[in-house]
Amino acid sequence: MLEVREIKLVRDERKILNTLTATFESGRVYAILGNNGVGKSTLSYVLMGLESHRDYEGKVIFDGEEIDLLSVSERARKGITLGWQEPVRFEGLTVKEYLTLGGKLRLSKEELNETLSIVGLNNEYLDRLVDESLSGGERKRVELASIILVNPKVTILDEPDSGIDIMSMEMIERVLERLRDKGSIVIIITHREEIARMADEAYLLCGGRILASGEPEEIVNFYRKLCDNCQHINEPITEGGRVDD
Amino acid sequence: MINSNFEREFTAIAKEYEKSGGNVSDFLRKDIVSIIVSGNKVIGRNTVDGVHVKAKELDNGVEIWLEIDDGTVIENPIHLCTGYLKPEGTQEVLIHNHLGDHTKAKFISHCVFPSGVNFTHSMVADTDVGKYSEMLYEDTHMHSKDGGVTVKATYNTIVREGGSFQNLFYLTKTRVGKLFVKMSVDLQKNASAHIESKVYEREDDYLEIDEQLFLNGEGSSGIAKTTVFATDRSKAKIINKAYGNAAYSKGHIECNEIIKGDSVEVGTVPELYVRNEKAELTHEASIGRVNVKQMETLMSKGLTEEEATDMIVRGMLR
Ligand SMILES: Nc1ncnc2c1ncn2[C@@H]1O[C@H](COP(=O)(O)OP(=O)(O)O)[C@@H](O)[C@H]1O
Ligand SMILES: [Mg+2]
Repeated sequence: MLEVREIKLVRDERKILNTLTATFESGRVYAILGNNGVGKSTLSYVLMGLESHRDYEGKVIFDGEEIDLLSVSERARKGITLGWQEPVRFEGLTVKEYLTLGGKLRLSKEELNETLSIVGLNNEYLDRLVDESLSGGERKRVELASIILVNPKVTILDEPDSGIDIMSMEMIERVLERLRDKGSIVIIITHREEIARMADEAYLLCGGRILASGEPEEIVNFYRKLCDNCQHINEPITEGGRVDD
Repeated sequence: MINSNFEREFTAIAKEYEKSGGNVSDFLRKDIVSIIVSGNKVIGRNTVDGVHVKAKELDNGVEIWLEIDDGTVIENPIHLCTGYLKPEGTQEVLIHNHLGDHTKAKFISHCVFPSGVNFTHSMVADTDVGKYSEMLYEDTHMHSKDGGVTVKATYNTIVREGGSFQNLFYLTKTRVGKLFVKMSVDLQKNASAHIESKVYEREDDYLEIDEQLFLNGEGSSGIAKTTVFATDRSKAKIINKAYGNAAYSKGHIECNEIIKGDSVEVGTVPELYVRNEKAELTHEASIGRVNVKQMETLMSKGLTEEEATDMIVRGMLR
């Protein structure tokens, strides 16, 4: 179980995350739904423990252990991993080297091929470079494959569909299915209703805190009603602000 | 073919050659042009139709002439291996490459100085790439562990009309010692060139690179690129220059220096000179740590900082 307790993160005197509390259980897929700028990516960086986001207040507790003092590598070794909204490119590394982490992961041909097929690629990609020669969508697929292959206990996927065409929703469903089957906690971060609907449970994020949680369909409706014409997009929520009402 | 008087020397060099990524059996093949130099001796050599190799011993080195007849396309890469097995001394290597018109050849050169403690190697390669010819020259160096090797490598090349030339220099697997690389290319009408150096520096290694593109012919184009990974107390000074002297010539110079630690001292100077208003030159330069997002991407999959750096740099220096 992953617990997030009263996380606060301040930037330029703004509370980007503001007493955010949530829990996540193994083998379940959670959607964190919210408009642009509400703090979704920030939350994923806090959970992963990126150097630039370690100055948060509050606690992240994984399987009963407070992990706030752990670095990215240390959290990764506990089984936490992050799929970035925009995966970075690497010069001179092949997809195969990338997926095997430079040979550190011992993976059979079958495992590689099967994982590539889940993300809609084939083994011809293994010798391609993970640089500008891959399109944004291909790069994102390689990233999803790479995440599956590290066999995580907690998977945070920041906008898994960004850069991928709308026809590929099935591919994302396959990826979530695989991670769920392997017992991972899956946290998908998204502003898209279609993606949120793939989850078992959803949280609505606004102004750096969870406004509502429940069945995805319910939260999606809430999101439509509450967030579509919302005036405070990208605005900080001050104590006693409108959303607290 | 290996001169039988030098079997032992060949075996010793071959061992180092394999370490640097070469395939020794290529030196025994009759269909591959090869030249093996140890100290001031040519200890093995082979050639094929259309390629003429001459060599002369110097007091402390060798001078080599390699000529390729017009219209000759060489399928297998030409292998050059220069070794020096003793810890002390100097070695001078002078190379004259002449490619006729409409030729095509790839050169793979390995320089292995595995035990240099107080050793200096100077190499000057003068190359003439004929009209509409294509040449690739890839030079990989392996130096000794204790940094006692000094290398001065100078490449002067002229690429004639419509020709294309690639010159790659790698010193990434061992200590550098002291290294001075100078690459200069004279590009004629519609000729193109890509010159690039990649170096990994450790301890108190010292490096100077000077790459120059002379875009002298109309429609010529060139790229001069340097990638350095500087660690520990190493120093690097990189100068990339491009001269746009002709109409519709295009040049790009680029230097990326990745640093690790607070004790490195690196710098780069891009220089662009235009003498024709229709020439176009650009440059890019960066000095800094390994990209944080790349690092964190790999670390979020369980690699340590060390392993992540290693993987990223390995890719960049390829
Ligand atoms: N380093 C920072 N300094 C100041 N503001 C930041 C910083 N990082 C993010 N923000 C702001 O925090 C808010 C949330 O950002 P982000 O988490 O990227 O949103 P989302 O992913 O939900 O679109 C945005 O208003 C953004 O501009
Ligand atoms: Mg975001």
